[in-house]
Amino acid sequence: MAPPLFLQTIEETGFSTWLRESESPFAFYFILLFHTFGLALLVGANFVVDLRLLGVARAIPIAPLKRLFPIMWVGFAINAVTGILLVVAYPTKSLTNPDFYAKLAVIGLAVWVMQRLRSQVFEDASLSEADRMARGAALAKWSLFLWFGAITAGRLLAYTYKYLTFPS
Amino acid sequence: MNFPHLHLLLNHFPIIGTMVGLGLFLISLLGKNEDLRRASLIIFAAMALLAIPTFFSGTGAQGAIKKLPGVSETLIERHQGAAMLALLFMEITGALSLVGLWKSQGTPRPAHWNWTLSAVLLFSIVTVVLMTRVGTTGGDIRHPEIGTGQEEVTEGSAISKILSRLEPSPSKFAELMTASKWWWAFMMDLHFVGLVLLIGTVGILDLRVLGFAKQIPFGPLHRLVPWAMAGFGLNLVTGVLAFTGMDQYYTYDWAFWLKMLAIMLLGLNVAAFYLTGAFESAERMGPGDDAPPLAKFIAGTSLFLWFAVITLGRYIQSYSDTITVHK
Repeated sequence: MAPPLFLQTIEETGFSTWLRESESPFAFYFILLFHTFGLALLVGANFVVDLRLLGVARAIPIAPLKRLFPIMWVGFAINAVTGILLVVAYPTKSLTNPDFYAKLAVIGLAVWVMQRLRSQVFEDASLSEADRMARGAALAKWSLFLWFGAITAGRLLAYTYKYLTFPS
Repeated sequence: MNFPHLHLLLNHFPIIGTMVGLGLFLISLLGKNEDLRRASLIIFAAMALLAIPTFFSGTGAQGAIKKLPGVSETLIERHQGAAMLALLFMEITGALSLVGLWKSQGTPRPAHWNWTLSAVLLFSIVTVVLMTRVGTTGGDIRHPEIGTGQEEVTEGSAISKILSRLEPSPSKFAELMTASKWWWAFMMDLHFVGLVLLIGTVGILDLRVLGFAKQIPFGPLHRLVPWAMAGFGLNLVTGVLAFTGMDQYYTYDWAFWLKMLAIMLLGLNVAAFYLTGAFESAERMGPGDDAPPLAKFIAGTSLFLWFAVITLGRYIQSYSDTITVHK
């Protein structure tokens, strides 16, 4: 089955071609770099919260870790924008790969877990540390598992694609 | 500066430095001198860090001289295999030293003898033996005045005969690393996971010192450091394995070498943090406290350099072959 034609249409636009083929250090690899920065902020901040809720470094007060959520959202925003640009650069490569949809699904779940963590563990200021850990432990495990899955699915995009560009 | 120059400049440090470190470590054990013990553990860790670019610079040095008359590729291969084995033990010694330093925190008097110190002793002795062999086999490549003879690859003392059996074949090892695309993908995946462990934990520490989330006291946050070390260790292993798999690809790339430079500077930065009193001042920071300027400067440098490491790592792909290859 041939890939749908709209992929070719996107690929032939000047912007997509520039992103893909420009020798400028501000083209493809620049976008990829910011996608990695976003990953570091989003998953790095999640990782610290998850570790604490699972009992690592118990002397860290949990409530102030709420401040890490804006960092997660900045990382998410950077990766949503750069992710779209990466798809624009290689639409056929990403959109014909089932792994791409798996990655989106895993990220969707991970962000949902992230929101649940915020509402369950951080919203109520009267909760004790023990309450917060009891409420957050299972979510924290899911968070670690899902973000690991998201990174893995993302890395695999580089190794599992069927077409690099639209087949001629 | 070219690769042979860089290799010669770096390669004496891990060999002689580890010997000096072992000497001081033994004296510290005999004299029950805690400061000297810490100093020797710091030397081991520093040598383990310096050994990384030293090892990497060997490929470029090889590329520059292997076509010269009188240079034997067999001798180079032997040296490279010896270096791979020595690097493994050097890194284990460095990692154990960091564990030892971590455990000795806040104890002014000599800590009781523990398994970490025994392991450091054992591994540093093995490392010194292996490093001696690396130096000898390296010297054989291009120093006819030493006069052990260029063709005597299998000759040597009993200990070097035993060691030569344990050393990996560099070309076979490289084939192993690149044989399966899934193995490669797995290593790269772990390299990104390590990045997250490292940046997440170091990032929150640096941000707290810079004044972010001041309600959190610094001391408890510092308990996250082993996770940062685990991330660094994971990336060291996967990074070195990737290099041995595609050494030509990484060697002739400016982004790769700048990344190594940034990592060395981060080593200095960590040393500055723990040895100038910045750590002690940060450790006293309770909820709401502000860090002194020196600690803030070091934390800012750390954040900047780690993001530089990510940036340079990402550009390795696009800048490969930016250094002229010596044919």
